[in-house]
Amino acid sequence: MLTFDQLPFDVVAGLLHWLGVCGALLVVILITTTAISLATMGLTGPLFVLQQLVAGATDFAKTSPRRVGALTVLAIREAFRKKTLYVFYVFLALFLFAGWFLPNSNEDPELRIREHVSFVLRTLSWVMLPVSLLLSCWSLPDDIKARSLHTVVTKPVRRNEIVFGRILGIGAVASLILFLVGGIGYIWIIRQLPPAAREMLTARVPIWVAPDPPDAKDEWSQRRFRFIGRDGKPEATGINTGDEYMFRSYIEGNSQARAIYRFERLTSRIPADTQEIELESAFQVFRIHKGNIERGIMCQFTLVNEAKKLRASLKPFEVREFRGNRIKIPRQLKDEDDKDVDLLRDLIADGTLEVHAQCITPGQYLGMARPDLFLRTPDRPFFVSYTKGVAGIWMMMVMLTVMGVMASCFAKGPVATLFTAAMWGFGRMAHNFMGELTGKIELAPGTTWQGGGPFESIWRIIAHITPSVPLEDSFGTRVVQFIDGGIIKLIAAVQYIIPDFRIFNLAEYVANGFDVPFDVALLRGLATTLGYAVPWIVVGYFSLKLRELEAK
Amino acid sequence: MNTEVVIQTRNLTKIYRDFWGRKKVRALNSLTLDVRKGEVFGLLGPNGSGKTTSIKLMLGLLFPSEGEVSILGNPAGDVNTNERIGYLPEESYLYRFLNAEETLDFYGRLFNMPANVRRDRAKQLIERVGLQAARKRQLREYSKGMTRRIGLAQALINDPDLILLDEPTSGLDPIGSRDMKDLIVKLKEEGKTVLMCSHLLADVQDVCDRIAILDGGELKVFGRVDELLKEQDVTQIRASRLSEQAIKDVEAVLTKHGAKFEIDHPTTSLEDLFIKTVRESAARPGQRYVPPGTTPQPSKSN
Repeated sequence: MLTFDQLPFDVVAGLLHWLGVCGALLVVILITTTAISLATMGLTGPLFVLQQLVAGATDFAKTSPRRVGALTVLAIREAFRKKTLYVFYVFLALFLFAGWFLPNSNEDPELRIREHVSFVLRTLSWVMLPVSLLLSCWSLPDDIKARSLHTVVTKPVRRNEIVFGRILGIGAVASLILFLVGGIGYIWIIRQLPPAAREMLTARVPIWVAPDPPDAKDEWSQRRFRFIGRDGKPEATGINTGDEYMFRSYIEGNSQARAIYRFERLTSRIPADTQEIELESAFQVFRIHKGNIERGIMCQFTLVNEAKKLRASLKPFEVREFRGNRIKIPRQLKDEDDKDVDLLRDLIADGTLEVHAQCITPGQYLGMARPDLFLRTPDRPFFVSYTKGVAGIWMMMVMLTVMGVMASCFAKGPVATLFTAAMWGFGRMAHNFMGELTGKIELAPGTTWQGGGPFESIWRIIAHITPSVPLEDSFGTRVVQFIDGGIIKLIAAVQYIIPDFRIFNLAEYVANGFDVPFDVALLRGLATTLGYAVPWIVVGYFSLKLRELEAK
Repeated sequence: MNTEVVIQTRNLTKIYRDFWGRKKVRALNSLTLDVRKGEVFGLLGPNGSGKTTSIKLMLGLLFPSEGEVSILGNPAGDVNTNERIGYLPEESYLYRFLNAEETLDFYGRLFNMPANVRRDRAKQLIERVGLQAARKRQLREYSKGMTRRIGLAQALINDPDLILLDEPTSGLDPIGSRDMKDLIVKLKEEGKTVLMCSHLLADVQDVCDRIAILDGGELKVFGRVDELLKEQDVTQIRASRLSEQAIKDVEAVLTKHGAKFEIDHPTTSLEDLFIKTVRESAARPGQRYVPPGTTPQPSKSN
């Protein structure tokens, strides 16, 4: 099951945010370069900066597709004739022996699917990303070192055309290799899985509960995913059973506690002639006592239409540890007064359906998060979700290629490689931490980072003060917090410069048998790729234009 | 004499600095010169004198520390100016994984030339530099001389008005060297301007109209080759098939006028002898030099 919320990407908000960040960066760069030019060139400095900006705009406007094409073909030929395709054999070799290390029992087909799909997509990443990294970081510096570029820049070639040519050429080679190895990976999954697991390969298309509207923070009834406590009072979350990072919260059995999932806009998504809809859940079991370990914990759904005051309870079902449940809801149901109700006409009349989930085993708990319950629409073939998973790797590869080419415009091969690899590493591993530190990511609903920034943390370690205890108000505390405030603001700014590479990892969807949603995952990835590629290309262009190619 | 200036440098100076901005070496110091349209101009100097630095400054590969340079009326490195320039670097820094046809096609594309024009031009240039037999071989398999030839072909792909040649005869055998010089003369006849730098003085003397001699990054001598080399106080008389008596009469006349003189048979240049030998060998294969006193052996056929 998925361990994160499905947040659709808002294109307009994203574009405005991008314009704001780029605008702010542009202002900072203009102020810095003008100051440096004044210091080094005197009063002609700002004029020089202006001339370069105008020349840059002209160069981009006059980009020649034929020249870009020539440079693209050159990069492709270079990659092929330098035997880049050898990476293909590395991939094949990995697959020859992969079967030795993966679980091979037939007992749990879902686990086998998860392991095999994760392995293939992870291997694809680990093989392809270094290829992009090395090709993009070494191609231009090699040309500069060998002085081949001298014969190019002394032709009527604009520097942006060189940057475009490299990106497109390397991108094309890497895409071709990814296409080939991705195809082999797919065949390998199909052939390696036992028949039982193979039949289960699919791409489920779920309807999840949408995220809460921004203004619903304080209005309990506005929330699309909310809780009722054991005493019947509204709650934002369930019970925390001890996890520091509380993605799921729990409801107590045999009490009034329940989780409420409100599905909206269903009219357009469920055909009117549907005879049954399918609810799938993956709740977590938390046992206070061992109980009958052979039996699961009982759960019951109640379908509710608040406007019509209709409630229809479904048959209770058993939730087992680490297992999902699928429940088919027939069109005709009985309400609490044993009257007939039509699922689509009565319960989902206004396109909204509330599902109340209750744990009915006394003394036990069920853990629930927003993506743990969803309505299923007709599945798509596994090939579709697999292709989208590979598309995520492709977007990450494009990002690395653009970043590598940009870095190679101002640094030599080893430095460019180190820079790009470091950005990638930070983007994968440190983004979450930076988000938590700056308060943009909640550790748990309503809980942000405690203990302050680096200096406050050092002080707390020395003084043996736990993060949850407030520091006494003193001059020293204010100084430390002031410095930390600056550092945290700097980290917040750095967050915009380092891309969040985690968003390209779509393997979790594919491995868990979900289709990759376009608006949540693919559109976000495409927008991020484009959003970073544009400024990086501009930086690469100016770096190449303003440097002396004849290194001494 | 055409007075239109094609290359103009004014106080052109280049100082190489280290990472910290400290001065490392002054490679070029206050170079001021003009190269006129239609002439072959030679930049001479020993190694490290600043010849290549000057060319790279003219091409925008390096930025001047002081002074300025303009090419065809525009600042160095201007994209539009590059449309009219051909450049042969010191080493032919071409893409070694391409073959001759691909190389010329690639550079032709950079000039936005249509495919049919590129094809015709590449064919014509490959013939001109004598690489028809090797046109499908990757440049990594080329000898140094062949690499220079394809380098020259790429410099001429756009039929440029101004050609900058850095050590054009370096690595070429005497015949290749002669071909290169003939080509430079032909380019001049076509009205093109050629700037070449070399430390092979004979080459420069053969083809250049004007020269500049650099040493230690500074311009030492500048002017027309014939004027710079002319010895005003020496008179040369050349005559063919003079009899012994005629030589004695000439000696008598010169003695009578009190001239200091010497009479001798002139020698040809080694380059001329070499070219004559190779051409005769091609015309009459199998003919060999047999040292005096030895018996010639019949040639073995392969």
